[in-house]
Amino acid sequence: MTDQSVDTPGEMPETPPDAALEFNYDLDDAPEKVWRAITRPEYRQSWLPDADLAETEPCVITPGEEVRYRMREDTPPFRESAVTFRILPSPAGGTHLHIIHEPPAIQAAANNNSPAMMRAA
Amino acid sequence: MNENEIFKALADPTRRAIFEKLAAGARNASTLREGMTISQPAMSQHLAVLRKAQLVTEERQGRFINYSVDPDGLVMIADWLQKYRAYWPDRVAALKDVLKGMDQ
Repeated sequence: MTDQSVDTPGEMPETPPDAALEFNYDLDDAPEKVWRAITRPEYRQSWLPDADLAETEPCVITPGEEVRYRMREDTPPFRESAVTFRILPSPAGGTHLHIIHEPPAIQAAANNNSPAMMRAA
Repeated sequence: MNENEIFKALADPTRRAIFEKLAAGARNASTLREGMTISQPAMSQHLAVLRKAQLVTEERQGRFINYSVDPDGLVMIADWLQKYRAYWPDRVAALKDVLKGMDQ
């Protein structure tokens, strides 16, 4: 508990995004090409199989930069999670790929429907 | 199994404080609130989130509901982290192969 929470009793603090698995990769290919490989099903299913996803359609957050997939395990207990890919141009003309995979515990928090749990977009 | 990683999944500082209290022993919602500046509805919400995440279980005892740490939840998070920590490097290796086969 920190002192800030004294002023806002009853409010749910926002879940910080650092409670997830994160990976960073530098790829030689251009960001536009990496974006296509991640978002177009014909390319995506060759490296991220449909069986690992809850929905095969991606949720584009920022075109060309940020995209999210809902994932589901293909074996019991079929835990659901979400992965976000962030694509940034690297100085050498390649792509910096940032992968953020949120565990089911965080998903449970994010999926709560009560108004106090609403998070800023 | 890395304990720090398990607690990392409990990102919210208030929920983490609640969870740590429960790790020391089962309690009901009102004794949980002792020493914490948190309203009863907020406590209920935090407990609901922890239960939904399978980190906490509840058991009715007379007029009270006792909350305790759910060991299954801890094992689940550790499993999950272990699985996907190995998963993504493999997937990115496959992504690199896909990129090689694509036109510019």
